[in-house]
Amino acid sequence: MSYPANTAAAQGLALCHVCCHLDHVERHQCSRCGAELHLRHPDSLQRTMALLITAVILYIPANVLPIMDTVQLGGGEPSTILGGVLLLIKLDSYPVAAVIFIASVMVPIAKLLAMFYLVWSARRRNPGSPMQCTKIYRMTELVGKWSMVDVFVVSILVALIQLGGLLSILPGPAALAFAGVVVCTMLAAHGFDTRLIWDRARENND
Amino acid sequence: MNDRRASMTEISKQTHTACEECDLLVAVPEVREGERAECPRCGHLLTQRPRQGFERALSFALAGCVFFVISLSFPFLSFSSSGIENVMTLPEASIAIYRQHDAILAAIVFVAIIALPIALLVAVIALTFPLVQGLRASWLPQAAKLMFQLNNWAMVEVFVIGAIVSLVKIAHLATVVLGLSFWAYIIFAICLTAAISGLDRMQVWLAIEANRT
Repeated sequence: MSYPANTAAAQGLALCHVCCHLDHVERHQCSRCGAELHLRHPDSLQRTMALLITAVILYIPANVLPIMDTVQLGGGEPSTILGGVLLLIKLDSYPVAAVIFIASVMVPIAKLLAMFYLVWSARRRNPGSPMQCTKIYRMTELVGKWSMVDVFVVSILVALIQLGGLLSILPGPAALAFAGVVVCTMLAAHGFDTRLIWDRARENND
Repeated sequence: MNDRRASMTEISKQTHTACEECDLLVAVPEVREGERAECPRCGHLLTQRPRQGFERALSFALAGCVFFVISLSFPFLSFSSSGIENVMTLPEASIAIYRQHDAILAAIVFVAIIALPIALLVAVIALTFPLVQGLRASWLPQAAKLMFQLNNWAMVEVFVIGAIVSLVKIAHLATVVLGLSFWAYIIFAICLTAAISGLDRMQVWLAIEANRT
């Protein structure tokens, strides 16, 4: 594999992923902090892909199963993520309904699509604009953790509303599945090496 | 080709660095206080030197610790409905889930809102105190590694939004009151963000290297 001439990799130099020290890759260990040196993250695309597939699988129970269960006077009333959004709309809390809809429905789907697109871009022969891909990647990293909002809402309500048989809120199985989706997509974004996209783009220009 | 080779021999690890996002080889940027340097190709932030970054990080981290202790010691939210009252503290956000036999979810919440944020603050103090005071310290590399690798996983600001959403969701069921701990936690979140934003990875590691010799 040859790297574009203007990159550090072409000179056999690798940027340490821990301390940003530029060092010769054949040393294998960073001379400043001791971390392992690699020109590109090892198996970046395979790891990202594996995490993305895990996230897609977890996304199904996260939406189908109830995220919490409101027990009131003996009767249970389970609600899903989308059910929670509908409840907020019914209560006329449109801004909060929008926050939850964006954080729990739109962001995870957009993130998964964006990451699949990036992995596909890094693999295909003639990738699109690397700058555009990099911007998509930055957005994905930025919004990553905000999807956890719904999980925290469940954790707060479960702790706050414990009045026994009169009124209690219990966590549903979707809460853990959804937390799993968020963690997997965050790990996927973290493990993705954007330099692979730039390598491809330069190869075609030369 | 020969010309290129010749010029490349002058490139060494002392004079150059690479962009983390696109791997473009660039001369090590000289930044003064208050300046930042970006990659000329992709615009990724290479390094920046916020004014008095280390001092700022240290003072925000110390203040953050105080507000963290406050946010653990008082009620976070309280709830009353038809004469029954229930008070919730911050750690209970995780403990209550644990009681419902969901240990993994409880652990995720605990790490994201309590354990990791306070570990980050302690790491910032362990890192910046010796650097600001000019003291030798052997633990600086470990503190820097912990801080830069884990700071993405602290979710204090997300939790604050979660608390506000919960408030709206149950406002129709009962009277909900925000506790002292809620406000302390917001200030803690601000301190944590401010402390970390004063620290740049490249500048921190240069300072650690200078501290060693």
